[in-house]
Amino acid sequence: MSILQAIMIALFVYLAAIGSVVGNTLGWYSLGRPLVASFVVGVIMGDVPTAVTLGLLLQLANLGSVTPGGAVGWDLSYATYIGVAGALAFHVGDIAATTALMWAFSTVGGAIGVAMWNLNYALNLSVNRIAYQGAEEANPKKIAWANAGLGNIIGFVTRFIPALIILATTAVAGSQTGINISELIPQWLLIVLNTFGGMMAALGIGILLSFLIKEKWQFALVLFGFMLVVYFNLNMMAVAVLAMILAVLYYVAITQREQEEGGGRS
Amino acid sequence: MKKISPHTLKKSWKIWFFWHGSSQQGENLLGNAMAHTMSPIIEELYDSKEEKTEAYKRSLTLFNTEQQLGAIAPGIICGTEEAVANEQIAPEVADSIKVALIGPTSAIGDSLWVATIIPLLLTLCMTITNMGGPFLYLGPVLYMVGYPLLTAQMSWRLWQKGYHLGIEGINQFMKSGQIEKVTKAMTILGLIVVGALAASFISASVPVTITPPGGEMAAVNLDDLINRIFPKLLPLCLAYAVYWLYSKQKKSPLFIMGVILMLALAFTGLGYLTGAY
Repeated sequence: MSILQAIMIALFVYLAAIGSVVGNTLGWYSLGRPLVASFVVGVIMGDVPTAVTLGLLLQLANLGSVTPGGAVGWDLSYATYIGVAGALAFHVGDIAATTALMWAFSTVGGAIGVAMWNLNYALNLSVNRIAYQGAEEANPKKIAWANAGLGNIIGFVTRFIPALIILATTAVAGSQTGINISELIPQWLLIVLNTFGGMMAALGIGILLSFLIKEKWQFALVLFGFMLVVYFNLNMMAVAVLAMILAVLYYVAITQREQEEGGGRS
Repeated sequence: MKKISPHTLKKSWKIWFFWHGSSQQGENLLGNAMAHTMSPIIEELYDSKEEKTEAYKRSLTLFNTEQQLGAIAPGIICGTEEAVANEQIAPEVADSIKVALIGPTSAIGDSLWVATIIPLLLTLCMTITNMGGPFLYLGPVLYMVGYPLLTAQMSWRLWQKGYHLGIEGINQFMKSGQIEKVTKAMTILGLIVVGALAASFISASVPVTITPPGGEMAAVNLDDLINRIFPKLLPLCLAYAVYWLYSKQKKSPLFIMGVILMLALAFTGLGYLTGAY
C-alpha cells in the first residue's frame, strides 16, 4: 500500500462515516456497507477479488446491523475499510492468513471508529451556538455554515486523520521486506480464526431474524427457505424470486380480503 | 395566500438528503440540520426579519427521525410552516406536530427500510457477487448505484406526499394500513431469503472422527452423521442460538461474538484432540 493509496482509502473512510458530507444514503448505508467498502478498497489497491471475498465475510456477519437513533455499537464502515486494506497491505498470498489478518484489523478498526464517532458527536455541540446566532440574525448562510460547513469539517478531521495514521503505519509495516507475516501466525490460530469467520455469518443472520420475526409461526418461513437450499439445491437467486412471488400473492390476498370485508359492511 | 414553490421544496429536500446528519449531537439531535433544511422555505414564506428569526428559532428545536424514509416528517413540517405563514394554524400547533412526528417516522424508516430493504438488497447483490468472474464487480456496483437511486426516489416522493397531504392526510394514510401490509409482505420475502442465507453461508462443523476400537467398523465422522440426520443442522442451530441470545436473553452483539469465538476455540481444540487437524 502506497501513501497515496492510504490517503484515498482514508478519504473513503470519511465519506462512508455516519453524517458525512454526502449524506447517510450515499455514505453510511452504501459506501459504508462491507460489500461496497471492500470493493472500493479492492479497486484502490488493485485486488478486487480478494477484497470482495473478505468483504462478503464481514457483510454476512453484520447483515442485521441497524443503527437506530445514531447509536453505534461497532463501526462497521471503519472496520471494513481498515480490516480489508490492512489485510491486503501485507501481500501474504494465502487466503486463510489474509482472512485472519482481516478479522484482526477490522476488530481494531471498528473500535476506533466508535471512539471517533463519540468524539465527533461531542465536538458537534460546538456548532450549536453559531446555528443559534444564525437564527437570531435570520441569516441562512450562517446556519448553513454551522451545519454543513463546520459540522462536516469536524466530521472530516475526526474520521480522516485517525484512519490515515493507521493506514500509513500499516503501509510502512507492510512494505518491510523480509517479514512474512503469515509465518508469524501459528497454524492453530489460523484454524480458529477461519472457523470463527464461518460461524460469524450466524451473528448477522440471527440478529436479522430478531428484527423480522414478530410471531412464532414465521419460523416456518425461515425453515422453508432453508429447505429450498439444503434439499432442493436452489441457489439464492431462485429462492429470492420464489419468495418474491409468495410475498406478492400474500399482499394481494390480504388486500382483497380487506376489500371484501369492507364491501360487506357498507 | 403564501405558497412554497416546487423549486424551493426541492431545494429544501436536497439540503436534507445530503446534510441531515452533518452536525448531529446530543443537544438538539438533527435540529441544526432541520434549520438548514428549512432555510429556503423560511426565506420564501416570510418577509420581515422578526418573522424569519421566530421561524428559524422554532426550526432549531430538538428533532430526530430516520433520515431516509423519515423524509416524510420534514415534508409535513414544510406544509405546517406554510400554514403558520398563512396564519391558518398557531406556531404552537406546528411545534407539537413536529414533536409528534419523531417517534412514528423513525420507526417506519428503521423497520421497513433499514432492517428489511437494505438486508434484502444486500443479499441479492451478494448472491450476484458470489457467482464469481465479472459478477464479482457487478454485485457491489449494483448495490452502490441501485440503493441510493431507489432511496432518493422514495425519499423525495415521501417528502412531497408529506407536504401535500399534511398531518391529517398522513394519519389517513397510516390508518389505511398500507404501510403495515407492505411491511408484512416484505417480511415474508425477507424470512424465506434469510433461511436460504443461513443454509448457504454459515459454516459450522464439529471436526471429530470417532474410530471404534477393534478396527472392524470404519471411522465415523461426527459431521457426516449429523448431516445425514438433517443437512446443515449445525448452522441452523447456530443461527437460532444467536436469535435466542439476542432477542430473548437481550445479550449484546459483542457478547455473542465472544460466545462464537469460544465455540471456534472449542471446536478447533476438539479437532486437534481427535486428530482431525
